[in-house]
Amino acid sequence: MAAPIAGVFRGLLLRGSPVFLRGLRDVQATASCWPLARVWSVPAWRSLSSEAGESQPAKSGKSSSAAEADPFDSIARYRERPWEYLESEEYVERYGTQLVWAGYRRNHKGGIPPQKTRKTCIRGDKVCGNPCPICRDPKIIVHHQNVKLLEQFISPHSGSVYDATRTGVCMKQQKNLTKAIETAKDHGLLPFHVPFVDFEGEDYSNTHSAVTHTPPPPFLTAKAEGGENSSSGGQPWYSWYHPTQPDPQELCRVTKLYRKYLKQEVPTSAGQ
Amino acid sequence: MAAFSVARCLFKYSSQLSNVDKKSHILHKCARRMLCSASSGGSSDGRKPQFSDEEVQNILTNITGLDLQKIFRPIKQELKPPTYKLMTDQQLEEATQRAAEVAKKQLKMPPVLPERKPINDVLAEDKVLEGVETSKYVFTDITYNIPHRERFIVVREPDGKLRKASWVERDRILQIYFPKEGRRLTPPPVFKEENMKVVFLQDRHEDILDLCLVQFEPDSSEYIKVHQLTYEDIDKQGKYDLLRSTRHFAGMVWHLVNVKRIDGLLIDMIQRDLIQDAASLVHLYHMLYPQCPSAIEAKEQQASGIELLKIFAKKESQKTGYIELALEAYQETTLESSA
Repeated sequence: MAAPIAGVFRGLLLRGSPVFLRGLRDVQATASCWPLARVWSVPAWRSLSSEAGESQPAKSGKSSSAAEADPFDSIARYRERPWEYLESEEYVERYGTQLVWAGYRRNHKGGIPPQKTRKTCIRGDKVCGNPCPICRDPKIIVHHQNVKLLEQFISPHSGSVYDATRTGVCMKQQKNLTKAIETAKDHGLLPFHVPFVDFEGEDYSNTHSAVTHTPPPPFLTAKAEGGENSSSGGQPWYSWYHPTQPDPQELCRVTKLYRKYLKQEVPTSAGQ
Repeated sequence: MAAFSVARCLFKYSSQLSNVDKKSHILHKCARRMLCSASSGGSSDGRKPQFSDEEVQNILTNITGLDLQKIFRPIKQELKPPTYKLMTDQQLEEATQRAAEVAKKQLKMPPVLPERKPINDVLAEDKVLEGVETSKYVFTDITYNIPHRERFIVVREPDGKLRKASWVERDRILQIYFPKEGRRLTPPPVFKEENMKVVFLQDRHEDILDLCLVQFEPDSSEYIKVHQLTYEDIDKQGKYDLLRSTRHFAGMVWHLVNVKRIDGLLIDMIQRDLIQDAASLVHLYHMLYPQCPSAIEAKEQQASGIELLKIFAKKESQKTGYIELALEAYQETTLESSA
């Protein structure tokens, strides 16, 4: 089980492969508490809600203990702060100044590539052949605070996100990318163009009765009768708003008519 | 008899005169008031100049400047192939003038308004409907041709109370029925303190002010708060040039003058050799606070230009030394360049 995966990695990774393999084997040894799929999937970012861009203390005890156990440049280290990988030596050696997806070539039949890239490169613990630029490097994590990575997938001239057919990423990662870019724009980490708002011809006096106090209609304030009224004094909106008593003759007649079907008087309980 | 008649006439006339006197006094008062309200508010007695006054607006437009290179800098958008035009000098001048007019439209200042008063108006209290429904119902008038500020939006609460919707509810409902481009139902997380600090570190104050214009109404509390935070940050770091030649510069100047902290801006202007702008800024300050000592002295001496700045630096500012240093440096450079 470990051998084919390790074989794939030996083919792909030039440097740091013994580190990776060691990490992989450690992961597999502790499969019960830390399944292999966790290595590839993007974990939940509960601890990174509002801080942005600066170094954060490792909050969970598990990651701190994992950092002590694993070597310095393992995958777990970049799980909490994925932007650090893009400044590390390993990244520079691997990619240089090129974009992450530069030089990646999709494998397909014929001259025209299919309009959609593959659905996902990693299914469970199996990796496909020739994984996409994001999936082939497990230290690259798509996160809304990882601005340098996100900028590589945005055109510097038109500001739009590159299509998956251009960059070669799988559909799942493309979706993650678009979501992360949108979140980054929401948080103000990525600049974007704001439409122009014209304030001419708008009246901000706020004097219309729709937004100020409206006096009640005159028929309500005219007769200040007693009893429960719906507005500030005067007649209620409808005559039956008052709690009315039934006509005694009518009540008597109806009681006589339906005496057999009347329920027995039960003392009314509190709380209706 | 004649004397009596004369006295009576005199008495009549005197009463009329007194009436006339009173009337004329009232007329004078009314006239003065009308003149004051009709004038630009510069020299009115008791009425403080507002942001929308003509004189204030003129000063602010002059200070904002018109840097066409900055206003028409390339933005990220869908690209088209470039077009080339061959023009004579005259055509080029005409095109530049047209561009300047378009730029002036783009530099139109957003309004500076006081915070809107909350709406607390109950239209009806119907106890009959208490407990009938489990949620609130919002009734909106979606007639097309009414301004949004005259639109009735009412809320029926589960306890039967029919009240007018609050400002926040109004904004949300109007965005649902009449969506504006770029505005979100819930404000994006950029406007939280932590994220705004990140944006300020990246020197993107103009972007966040544009976003604020799109998202909030000019008299809402969030709009005012975001603007004040941005202006404070710019003042603290001295990055006044970021907003120069944008539509937000006037608002910043107005805020700083109201809070009486124009020293940093003055120093920045003098260092960039914008003496006229600095003088008009001090003039605006004196318009708003005519009782301050520098205003009185300037009025006595009828000062203008550098003299006005020196008076202000001596009498009113907190950073007197810096302003005087900057003025000296400017004068040296002018002497060198003239010599």
